[in-house]
Amino acid sequence: MNPVILLIEDDPHIRRFLRASLVTQGYDLLEAGTGREGLALAASRVPDVVLLDLGLPDMEGIEVIKQLRAWSGVPIIILSARGQERDKVANLDAGADDYLTKPFGVGELLARMRVALRRVGPGEEGKQETLHHLGNIRVDIERRLVFRDQEEVHLTPIEYKLLAVLLKYRGKVVTHRQLLKEVWGPSCTEENSYLRIFVLNLRRKLEDDPTRPQYLLTEPGVGYRLRDE
Amino acid sequence: MPDPAPGGAPPIQQEQQTAGGERLLVCLDPSPFSIPLIRATKRMADAQQAKWFALYVETPSHDRLPPENQEQVAQALYLAAKLGAQAVKVSGFRIGDEILAFARENRVSKIFVGKPYARRWRRFLGTSLVDHLIWNCGPIDIFVISGEGEEAPPAAAPGPRPQRLLREYLLAAGGVGLCTGLAWVLFPYLALRNLAMIYLLTVVIISSLLARGPALFSSFFSVAVFAFFFVPEYYSFALADSEYAVTLAVMLLVSTLVSGLTTTIRHKARVAREQERQTAALYEMSQNLTAINSLEELLRVAAEQISRIFDSRVAILMPRTEEKLEIRAGFPFADDDVREGMVAKWVFRHGHLAGAGTGTLSAVKSIYLPLIASQQVIGVLRLEPFEPGRVLGADSLRLLEALGSQVGLAIERENLSRQAQLAQLQIEGERMRNILLSSVSHDLRTPLTVIAGSASSLVEGEKSLDSVTKQELAQSIYEEARRLDRLVHNLLEMSRLQSGQAMLNKEWHVLEEVIGCALAQLDSQLHDHPVRIDLPTDLPLVQMDALLLERVVINLLENSMKYTPPGTPLEISGSLQDQELLVAVADRGPGLPAGEEERIFEKFYQVSPGSARGAGLGLTICRSIIEAHGGRIWAANRLEGGAVFTFTIPLAEGAPPLDKNLPGDAAKT
Repeated sequence: MNPVILLIEDDPHIRRFLRASLVTQGYDLLEAGTGREGLALAASRVPDVVLLDLGLPDMEGIEVIKQLRAWSGVPIIILSARGQERDKVANLDAGADDYLTKPFGVGELLARMRVALRRVGPGEEGKQETLHHLGNIRVDIERRLVFRDQEEVHLTPIEYKLLAVLLKYRGKVVTHRQLLKEVWGPSCTEENSYLRIFVLNLRRKLEDDPTRPQYLLTEPGVGYRLRDE
Repeated sequence: MPDPAPGGAPPIQQEQQTAGGERLLVCLDPSPFSIPLIRATKRMADAQQAKWFALYVETPSHDRLPPENQEQVAQALYLAAKLGAQAVKVSGFRIGDEILAFARENRVSKIFVGKPYARRWRRFLGTSLVDHLIWNCGPIDIFVISGEGEEAPPAAAPGPRPQRLLREYLLAAGGVGLCTGLAWVLFPYLALRNLAMIYLLTVVIISSLLARGPALFSSFFSVAVFAFFFVPEYYSFALADSEYAVTLAVMLLVSTLVSGLTTTIRHKARVAREQERQTAALYEMSQNLTAINSLEELLRVAAEQISRIFDSRVAILMPRTEEKLEIRAGFPFADDDVREGMVAKWVFRHGHLAGAGTGTLSAVKSIYLPLIASQQVIGVLRLEPFEPGRVLGADSLRLLEALGSQVGLAIERENLSRQAQLAQLQIEGERMRNILLSSVSHDLRTPLTVIAGSASSLVEGEKSLDSVTKQELAQSIYEEARRLDRLVHNLLEMSRLQSGQAMLNKEWHVLEEVIGCALAQLDSQLHDHPVRIDLPTDLPLVQMDALLLERVVINLLENSMKYTPPGTPLEISGSLQDQELLVAVADRGPGLPAGEEERIFEKFYQVSPGSARGAGLGLTICRSIIEAHGGRIWAANRLEGGAVFTFTIPLAEGAPPLDKNLPGDAAKT
């Protein structure tokens, strides 16, 4: 059975282009032009992923997220304009899973959707991969070992924890706040500068060119993302 | 409404009047008859369309008038001013001379006076004022007007304060008595003329302290006492020698003259002080109001100042919405009397002074003065004396009105300057929009042309195009769309920065990461230009808005790509210098035309206009962002060829340490 995608977007042109790309990729597409319509469809058809535009005519995007999250854990991917970093963070905090900045390519969209679908895929929940590959980097979660090519890389405990959290949400954006909370604990959610220093060090240890990272990607103003394969 | 001049030297230098036309002058006196006299003159002035003056000569005797007569003068001047006269008060000694001097200075052609009462006008060497005027007027016509109710005798002069006056007479007598005692002691040692000097001194002292009556009394009394005690025959008024008669006569003349002069000087000083006070008040007000450039501040200062001058609570009311008056500055009156608000509203609607002591709607506690700017009432000034029941005299009302019109002018000036500023801003904004539109439409059209062209080739050449070409066309559509996106983003950023809405979201950032983000955004454009990055590994964290700094790096890189041939390398380097982070973006292109290094940061400037893409906004935005961070940005040519753009960001105190001993990370695996 094809995965069902609910697209909540008021602009018909964007809907048309998404319809063309998603249907050919083998997804079933539900379309809603308003937030209310979208919420109704989400309740009646139970989609696998929701694509949510933030500029809806009838209600704020964050409101849609909150109402949806009240009863559903369906992955929500936000479609937003650039320059709305604060909104993005607020929406991610409110329960959205990921975001795409307009204009975006179909490739990017499909990658995000694959990550979102994998998270809810059968048997994935609860089960943790123990061996991860990032190009020439190999991470053995069970033995807490990191190899670059064949050489072992020494990470500090925090660096390791950071990497492990990013691996857990691999392919998905992780906000600064969420990273700080999961690595340092709930009391330490404002110290973005520590995070930056650790990411910098981690990149220097893992990336070939730390200034143009291939795996540890920065999401400006929002957080970090570990590249999916 | 013309302001009555607060008094003093009168030449009135207003020449706006009917060239060579009539100029009328009405002379006022302290009687109710002045009112019909003013109305008669007003009718005449209207009929002849003449400029007219109302003049009151304040003599020393003005002081001795009962308050109601003084009030009549002030009311008369006030009425004259209201009816369009130039109301003037001058101080002088001889009414007739002052009137004629004023008339000549102001080229008056007709003088109006009231029909003389024998007593009132008989001031001038026994002849009436009218006589004096007629004899001395030269070419000026004199009109004598009789009033209705003329028979009513003018209010008797003294009347008030009889007790105080009696006390002053007693004091004068006592003073002479004391002097006599002293003279008695000195009598054996001094000559007669020297004793007379002591008496004269006494008269001068008494005149300088007491009113005119007691002063005059003291001169007569002292001569009498002197004659009785010290001039032979002693203890009698009989004179032993006729020569003594001369002595006494001269002494009487001198002492009366001296006492008269002394009281006159005192009067002049008092008038001068009063005028000085009013002039100073007006001057201080105008001084204080010119320096202010916000309406709220202006109202506050005006209310404070008027409150101080009149010892009163002062508030300025202005309509905030529609008709509802609200207190905008000054004392926050909280009224239990609805009439106060009604009077305020009436004043606001009609633009007339009203309230306590003004003769209009006077049943309230406060005085309401309309504030007039640009020929319309814009507010109301409310004034209520601290001392309950005190009513402002007409003199004070005129000063209040003068101050009120100054406030009105200041408000008007403030309004005008704000409008001018706004208009200037609008013109500037309009100009910017025009440039922006023409520039942007060109820059938008280029990528749109590529996109439309490539897309239509794909649509129409479905069959004929090979897959490589299709791929290329699709790729260029994608890239041009990204370029468009960046352009739009720059435009938005620009307007945000220009409107001052952009708040810097400064945090501690790693430069390497910011540059990395910029490079990631430009990824698809950069394949033609290898980028070399040279950053020291120990660069400290820097306080900056990462998104804006990312924009700076993107714009600099894009600018370099735009003006350099494909394949040439770009270099990004960072270093520390003094207390600054220095970042340079260098290329190997043709470099900048000499002398253009500064101009390229100007809005919409392009090295070769119209040729290359980009609205010429990129570098301007860079400059705005860098300057908002307190840094500098400049461009130069490299010695070895190519251009280099450098910007600085000041280093802030308290950067988080870069070493690995960070909280929570003590042990190593």
